Amino acid sequence: MRYSIIADTYERIEATTKRLEMTELLADLFKRTPKEIIDKVVYLSQGKIYPDYMGIELGVAEKLAIRAIAISSGKREAEVEELYRKVGDLGKATEILLEKRSQSILFREALSVEDVYDAFDKISRATGPGSVESKIRLLTKLLNNASPKEGKYIVRMALGKLRLGIADMTILDALSVAFAGSKEMREEIERAYNLSSDLGYVAKKVAEEGLEGIKRFEIMLGRPIRPMLAERLSSPAEILEKLGGRGSAEYKYDGLRVQAHISKDSILLFSRRLENITGQFPDVVSHLREAVKSDGAILEGECVGVDPNTGEMMPFQMISQRRGRKYMIEEMAEEIPVVFFAFDALYAGRDLTREPYPVRRMELEGIVRETDFVKIAERRIVDDPDELEAFFEHAISLGCEGLVVKSVQDNSIYQAGARGWLWIKYKRSYKAEAIDTFDLVPVGAFMGRGKRAGTYGALLMAAYNDEEDVFETVCKLGSGFTDEDLKALPEKLKPYVIGHRHPRVKSQIEPDVWLVPSLVMEIAADEISLSPLHTCSKDSVRKGSGFALRFPRFTGNWRTDKSPEDATTSKEIAEMYRNQLKKISE
Amino acid sequence: MFKVTVSDAKLLRNLMAAISTLIEEADFQADPSGIKLRSMDPSHIAMVDFELPSSAFESYSCPQPERIRIGLSDLLKLLRRAKSDERLELTYDGKSKRLELTFRGKVVKKFTLPTLEHVEEEVPTPNITFNAKAKLPSQLLSEAIEDAKLISESVRLEIEPERLVIRSSSELSSASIELSRDGGVIELEVKEPSRAAFALSYLSEMVKAGASTSDLVTVELSTNMPLRLSFEPPSGGRLLYYLAPRIESE
Repeated sequence: MRYSIIADTYERIEATTKRLEMTELLADLFKRTPKEIIDKVVYLSQGKIYPDYMGIELGVAEKLAIRAIAISSGKREAEVEELYRKVGDLGKATEILLEKRSQSILFREALSVEDVYDAFDKISRATGPGSVESKIRLLTKLLNNASPKEGKYIVRMALGKLRLGIADMTILDALSVAFAGSKEMREEIERAYNLSSDLGYVAKKVAEEGLEGIKRFEIMLGRPIRPMLAERLSSPAEILEKLGGRGSAEYKYDGLRVQAHISKDSILLFSRRLENITGQFPDVVSHLREAVKSDGAILEGECVGVDPNTGEMMPFQMISQRRGRKYMIEEMAEEIPVVFFAFDALYAGRDLTREPYPVRRMELEGIVRETDFVKIAERRIVDDPDELEAFFEHAISLGCEGLVVKSVQDNSIYQAGARGWLWIKYKRSYKAEAIDTFDLVPVGAFMGRGKRAGTYGALLMAAYNDEEDVFETVCKLGSGFTDEDLKALPEKLKPYVIGHRHPRVKSQIEPDVWLVPSLVMEIAADEISLSPLHTCSKDSVRKGSGFALRFPRFTGNWRTDKSPEDATTSKEIAEMYRNQLKKISE
Repeated sequence: MFKVTVSDAKLLRNLMAAISTLIEEADFQADPSGIKLRSMDPSHIAMVDFELPSSAFESYSCPQPERIRIGLSDLLKLLRRAKSDERLELTYDGKSKRLELTFRGKVVKKFTLPTLEHVEEEVPTPNITFNAKAKLPSQLLSEAIEDAKLISESVRLEIEPERLVIRSSSELSSASIELSRDGGVIELEVKEPSRAAFALSYLSEMVKAGASTSDLVTVELSTNMPLRLSFEPPSGGRLLYYLAPRIESE
């Protein structure tokens, strides 16, 4: 097929303002396209050469495109740049320049779709020494054979700026119109797309096998499934009502949502936006290999950074440091170890997406053998709003964002690519920011693991309750220590170690070592939250809950000027919570 | 198996350099009669057509046709290290896909180079009737072109019954260099006077590189059609360049 057919369609699409017309134009194009290359035509129409999840981008640098345009048009680079500045679009500039070409070539041949696609494919794969030259060569060759109009779109495409605004949904409409004559096939086609995230592949299936083929469309390992999304409500009662009185409340971990494709010889990880992030998380890959006993499975989970010493979850900013890395991947994996909290199974030797949630959860529990680094998301079946609220607070105090409450009804299938009421987010609408630092007293210590083996890994910190003259726990502290701080800890704490809980310490947590309340440390934190684990001002705001500091870290300051009775008091922390409670804007 | 010896590496080096003015990856075809290459530059503005017969080598053996694709810059680096008293042996084994170069002088130096994956590329012969032809010392042409290059990035070649004229002009300056029989042109054959313009970025490199392989060059033209430059190396064989003209806006 001639590339000019595509270029003509682009031009007409650019000229229209109506979506319906856009769909018609695309449907016409798809009808005229030979089946073998319809995938390529679909990718090209969105300015791509592969589905997004492959992570292969064209993105030729402007400078490089300018060189190719200069060679092909016989103009100097400065002239190309000048015209580009004037018209503001390098594609348009190319069109103008090619109209007044000053250099002829020995042989000219009409461009085919395959010529263009193959050249772009090679450009996208060119790496290493000499790749700049070979990209210029390939682009020049295309432009040599291009008409001015073709040249315009080739350059825009090369720069990754085709920008025709053809949405996935428009392509799905057009495919249905092209191959069924109407939108009757639309739903089935969309389902195929949601299960594969690959419009080109779906188009080929439709073109070659028709409606029957698309009905038989199956999940494939290696092609990411478009994620199911949750609606949001802010009251437990409303949530339960919407779910028919009963739901499965799962921790909403504050991490990266990851879809893991596990086959016999490989594991692929995709982000929520379906980028392939396997290379950035080699640790997750090997942990999954160990924990998942299946030759073919697709699991969804949340990757969360966990402090190896406190066992507590790290804030999202920590794990986000591991995204997009090309270097120091192993080092970062050691510094910010990640736990994969699996929350759904979409495939386990068979398609599970049409199974209700309870069945999927059972399959998940069947194939995951929990380890230190692969766990199944914590959940509780609830039918009482108060119970839901309490579970929610518990999740928050552990560092979660909140809960996702999931339908347990028979119709609770996995709705790939859709946002619906089968899953409902429950996030906090208020939070108490911690503005000041706190002066807290270590009352216990935990033995270190990993890099901190041989010293303490974390301390149990307490505030002072001046009414009862006791020390009440408020957080586990594992961050903010320098290597020297850590090395010095055992020596520093030695005089205060005792074999049992000190009578002036109130704690529900059992550390490895108890300390006499003596020292005072300065601590910074992100916010104050309610927690059933800590004893600080317990029951003052809600029955059964005390206060905890989220993401506490040592400022490096030992307050030797203060005695433990001068530490921040439990009452002060309760007051700060009340005063700083603010609506979360979203 | 391809195995040849050359007594003087310099000619081979100059020929390879001449090919490298247009292409980086050269796809040679070798058979019992000699080696050949025909390839266009990536922008399809120019083409090189090269042949070196087996008789040009001191010894030559290639019983089966072989295709050898090689990066010219790597090959040239090695060829430049050849001393005048050294003989050069080239061996290519289709199985190992490696080209072996052995320089034999007082010391024996052996290099191996990887070859590249063969790329299928159709290169047709330009079908052009040339109306004018001039044969002249290649050095003479080269110098005339260097003169014209002082003024502009392109030149116009004109062949008339009595002379070959090379013109260049910019906004304010101009140059014209006339070469006639008296001035060293050996042969002029003109069916009709012909003229066309060419990019110097190509022409100058071709003529310089070609001149280092052959003393004489034949220039063939038709109005606003591609040009052909033919060099005949003293060892036999040929080095032809085709170059598409610039489109002149009058």
